Amino acid sequence: MSRLPYSSDTSNSHLKPLIGDWLVIIISIVAVFFMFQQFWSFEHASQLRIRQGNKIIGTYDLNQTRELHIKGPIGESIIVINQGKVRFKQSPCHNQYCVHQGWLSHAGEVAICLPNQVSLQLLGAKNTYDSLNY
Amino acid sequence: MRWKEALTKAIVAPMRLFLVFIFFFLAGCSKPEPLYNTQSYIFGTLVDITIYGEPEPRAQEVSNQIIHGFQDLHNRLHAWRPSELKTLNDEFSRGNSPVTIAPDIAVVLSDATKLSIQSKGAFNPAIGGLIEAWGFHHDEFHPIKIDETKIKNLVHANPQMTDIMIKDGKISSNNPAVQVDLGGYAKGYALDIALASLRKQGVKNALVNIGGNIIALGKHGEKPWRVGIQHPRKPNAIATLDLESGWAIGTSGDYQRFFELNGKRYCHIIDPATGYPAQGVQAVTVLIPPQINAGTLSDVTSKPIFIAKPEARAEAAKAMGVENYLVIESNNKILVSPTMAKRLTWLDSLAAKHVTSALQ
Repeated sequence: MSRLPYSSDTSNSHLKPLIGDWLVIIISIVAVFFMFQQFWSFEHASQLRIRQGNKIIGTYDLNQTRELHIKGPIGESIIVINQGKVRFKQSPCHNQYCVHQGWLSHAGEVAICLPNQVSLQLLGAKNTYDSLNY
Repeated sequence: MRWKEALTKAIVAPMRLFLVFIFFFLAGCSKPEPLYNTQSYIFGTLVDITIYGEPEPRAQEVSNQIIHGFQDLHNRLHAWRPSELKTLNDEFSRGNSPVTIAPDIAVVLSDATKLSIQSKGAFNPAIGGLIEAWGFHHDEFHPIKIDETKIKNLVHANPQMTDIMIKDGKISSNNPAVQVDLGGYAKGYALDIALASLRKQGVKNALVNIGGNIIALGKHGEKPWRVGIQHPRKPNAIATLDLESGWAIGTSGDYQRFFELNGKRYCHIIDPATGYPAQGVQAVTVLIPPQINAGTLSDVTSKPIFIAKPEARAEAAKAMGVENYLVIESNNKILVSPTMAKRLTWLDSLAAKHVTSALQ
């Protein structure tokens, strides 16, 4: 490591890495670690978007504990946000697919209650995909 | 001034190139994307339209037009509420006096007939009676009491699309059991209409998703559109793939419309030969290259593969001209055609272990 060709100073003959070289190395390591976390297949979502019908009800921070009551055509859907994850807790629909889907935590994940027209979509800094085929 | 020179030599000089990279990286981060997205509920499912690279008012106008077109199509083709199709079905069950039919619906029914013949009846939109018997003709369906006699009679009546005759703008059926249900066709057909409409409006980049069936136009900026494939039993995606311009993807799953009775799952995909919901498969995904009816094919062609016996799946795919497909069986085995395997990026490491290549 003490003979980095890149650090060869034009005026000096000895090839000792300079402070700038160490900075490049340290920042690179941090950047790689950061990007690995950020972009490696599943990204943990940071935000939740709730829609009812064609309206966006709101975009919520996922890192909180909160219960939301959303009114739709057949009643009230209850959604729970719990420190990085979200789920339908209660729904007025008959089949309860939305409730059975359970916790969502990764960017791009979607849960929909078709009868009550409520959708949950998880957003991240960079989404793993643009749309979901199901 | 010596210390300044030394500082430049030791810190700034080695980092010059690096700082340029960081500048571009940060510049790339701060630019907001010209991305428009809208959702609505049509065809009994979620419709999601994304448009890239158009000013928002324009994207909104084009989306609204498409959504209105979908709503109109849905109202005309509804299988159990009053609609043009329902009127035809009522006439079919009454007798065979020819009734007038709209030209575009005549084209749809002729095309559906062609695809039904191609699938040797595995894709059969004439079995609306069976779908009704299984209780799927409701927005909110309940587990039914299985009426074996009724199902047997409906299978025996053998309703086929070829029982329908269209002549001089009039339609008739010589089999009163024919009840057309375009549940496995209309969403895909709507994708084709949406794509044509987007192109006509001069939109270059868009992604249209109707209940999970997706068609792509152009790209998402510099990169192709990327779609996730839903895991049939988990809340997350099982894999992703790039959907290039003009390509369409569709999945038939046992997890979208189903009910459970005595611990057994009954899904909405019914085998016309037995009259019973197909068993043994959780999901079939097909990927269709650009062609005039790519959307329609992404909806239709997954059904014959879903219904086919395990040993006949490759043949069913071949008969429908499908080269790229993915089958997730109930025993966790995953079958992927070789061309499809090259396109998939697995997200679920457990699933990736169960993959076998399908013979072609």
